[in-house]
Amino acid sequence: MTSIPLEYYLILSAFMFSVGVTGVLIRRNAIVVFMCIELMLNSANLTLVAFSSFLGNPIGQVFVFFVMTVAAAEAAVGLAIIIAIFRNKLSVNIDEINIFKW
Amino acid sequence: MLTEFGKIFVFILLAVVFVLIALFAAKLIRPSRPTKEKMLIYECGENPVGSPWIKFNIRFYVVALIFLIFDVEVVLLFPWALTYQDYGFYGFLVGLVFLLVLGLGMAYEWRKGDLDWERGIISPPILNEILKNKKAPLKINDSENQITEEIKA
Amino acid sequence: MDLSFITESLYFVKPEIAASASIILLVLLDLIFHKNKTIIPYVALAGIIITGIFVVDQFNISGFAFLSTDNPKYGMIAVDNFGAFFKLIIIISSIFVVAFSAYSDEINKITDRLGEYYALIFGMILGMLVLISASDLILIYLSMELLSLSSYVLAGFTKLRDRSSEASLKYLLYGATSTGMMLFGISILYGLTGSTNLYIISAALQTQSLNLLTLAFSIILIFAGIGYKISSAPFHFWTPDVYEGAPISITAYLSVASKAAGFALLIRFIKTTFVTFVDDNGNWQLLQVFDWESLLIIISLLTMTLGNFTALWQRNLKRMLAYSSIAHAGYLMLGLLVFSNQGLIAILIYFTIYLFMNLGAFFIVMVIANKTGSEDIDDYDGLGFKSSFLGVSLAIFLVSLTGLPPTAGFIGKLYLFIALVDAKMLTVAIIALLNTVVSLYYYIRVLKHMFLTSPTEKTEKIPLNFGQIAVIIIMLIPILLFGVYFSPVVDLAKSYITILGF
Repeated sequence: MTSIPLEYYLILSAFMFSVGVTGVLIRRNAIVVFMCIELMLNSANLTLVAFSSFLGNPIGQVFVFFVMTVAAAEAAVGLAIIIAIFRNKLSVNIDEINIFKW
Repeated sequence: MLTEFGKIFVFILLAVVFVLIALFAAKLIRPSRPTKEKMLIYECGENPVGSPWIKFNIRFYVVALIFLIFDVEVVLLFPWALTYQDYGFYGFLVGLVFLLVLGLGMAYEWRKGDLDWERGIISPPILNEILKNKKAPLKINDSENQITEEIKA
Repeated sequence: MDLSFITESLYFVKPEIAASASIILLVLLDLIFHKNKTIIPYVALAGIIITGIFVVDQFNISGFAFLSTDNPKYGMIAVDNFGAFFKLIIIISSIFVVAFSAYSDEINKITDRLGEYYALIFGMILGMLVLISASDLILIYLSMELLSLSSYVLAGFTKLRDRSSEASLKYLLYGATSTGMMLFGISILYGLTGSTNLYIISAALQTQSLNLLTLAFSIILIFAGIGYKISSAPFHFWTPDVYEGAPISITAYLSVASKAAGFALLIRFIKTTFVTFVDDNGNWQLLQVFDWESLLIIISLLTMTLGNFTALWQRNLKRMLAYSSIAHAGYLMLGLLVFSNQGLIAILIYFTIYLFMNLGAFFIVMVIANKTGSEDIDDYDGLGFKSSFLGVSLAIFLVSLTGLPPTAGFIGKLYLFIALVDAKMLTVAIIALLNTVVSLYYYIRVLKHMFLTSPTEKTEKIPLNFGQIAVIIIMLIPILLFGVYFSPVVDLAKSYITILGF
């Protein structure tokens, strides 16, 4: 039985992480930026689960539970803040959120 | 013999076949009496056509936020549910404390009125300012269109 | 099976338990006293003081709580004197912040959400207390997120002001990105070493031969998360915006407590993971797996130079103090990059003094902003004549931030530079000294506006009540006292540098 090598998981998670970081850097809509951050967290989750299964050590999977709950809490806080800023500005475009400069 | 990738492929295949069978069986059995409402795209009671932004009722977000947190915290209960019997009464108590804290959060939302659907509408300050000026509707539409364009782009 | 390994550990986490209980109590009180919330600040203060008593109780106690299943020699929480010292700094600054909030017009306007405000402050306190003593990557990540999530909301607490909600959004986006990076780094480090416990990771680094490039990659990612918390150079962009937009009491809290927790984490992370032993002279022997020294020197110099030079042209005093706090993060790193006990002592001394001088400066800015509604430096014209007590106090705090004698800030800088010179890092010391000279310009410029410019019609006398004067005097005394009589602080710091494991 050939199992999927660890490298495949790591390459996939590195790819997801890169997509997430690129999205954070270039997207202009706050909600899309937030989705990209979730992508980064999930790539870390994938790495943790892959290593956990590869090392036969359950700590990684426990870690993933915590990361998932924290990510949900972060998403909730993030959406609440985005609603607050939308009420003030009627926009969630990051380029328009520019009161502060240097 | 199947490789690991083969198993994944079987899973994908099963998922597709399951949906197709369900749809096909439903087609055979169900009576077909379409009305205008039934033909609408499913959108949780919202009008499916229009700007994706301003049309959303802010209450949907609040409900979604509450749901999101309570939904995901249950993840932490699964490992506890599997093992608490090994630890006897103490193990049960540990889970109880966790549930009590969650319950406190629930009580908090209840008391603050976030669970009531009918609630005094808090209008955003910027809207009030715009409405004071006479150009009001025009300005709102402007930013609305801008957002729509932003999403398209 | 029994849970005695958990119940035994509770002995070590009393402060954390007190803080968690306070959160629950505050939320309950907020629900019960729906209409009248005047009691809540007092309950919060009592909670902080009880937590503080437990922290003081922890002095000279050391041990691991929540032992690791892999290796029961180590645990998830390391209780030691180093942690207790930083926890005390957190507690003292929390007491001051509650006092600030009581006098802040921004906060007092929001009477209906006062319960949330203090509950979230306790969320920050709990996050910081755990962060300081966490010796496990899971706990580090969790407590960091607890601290961050609470502070995102607090930064945008005056949500109807668009500046505040903008600050909150920026803080959130930067914070979530850097903790996401940190998490990815943690996942790689876990994969390399097979454990999340810092002590077991350290053992693995010493015995196994690892791919050093991957290790360096994961360490730099983890440093991104910590660097964001202490607002060091490449990750500092959120600092000025958030500090300017957030309510001043929260700004003061972020600049002192949050930074202290970040530094405690950085020091503990480096010392437990990468230091093999401490020799008789107090020098730390680093593992040859990652060049911490070069990284920290570059980051530290970059941080202080960027902070100081950008502060030069700030017109808003809050923003200027934000850049000055970035520069101070750079100075504090100097104490770490010498990798010796002497440097650690210097950091502890500096933090003790920084606590009072930075909080003091922010408090006076807040008192003035309460009255004038502005933090612009031009509105300080002639303030020294109209309200001389405020003017003189602010002057003392700013002189101390510059690091001039006879204030305590001088002692803090002196110990940092002595540690640098002892480690034979003269170039670094000279660059840091030049930076101090640059910082003199922007601090003194405020004094010029206050004392050398004649008052305009807009300048008015700032009324002070008894409590405000008391708070200012409580912060002034250490600044003036430690400037001339500093041996108690030094002795205190010397006895509180033990980190568990060495």
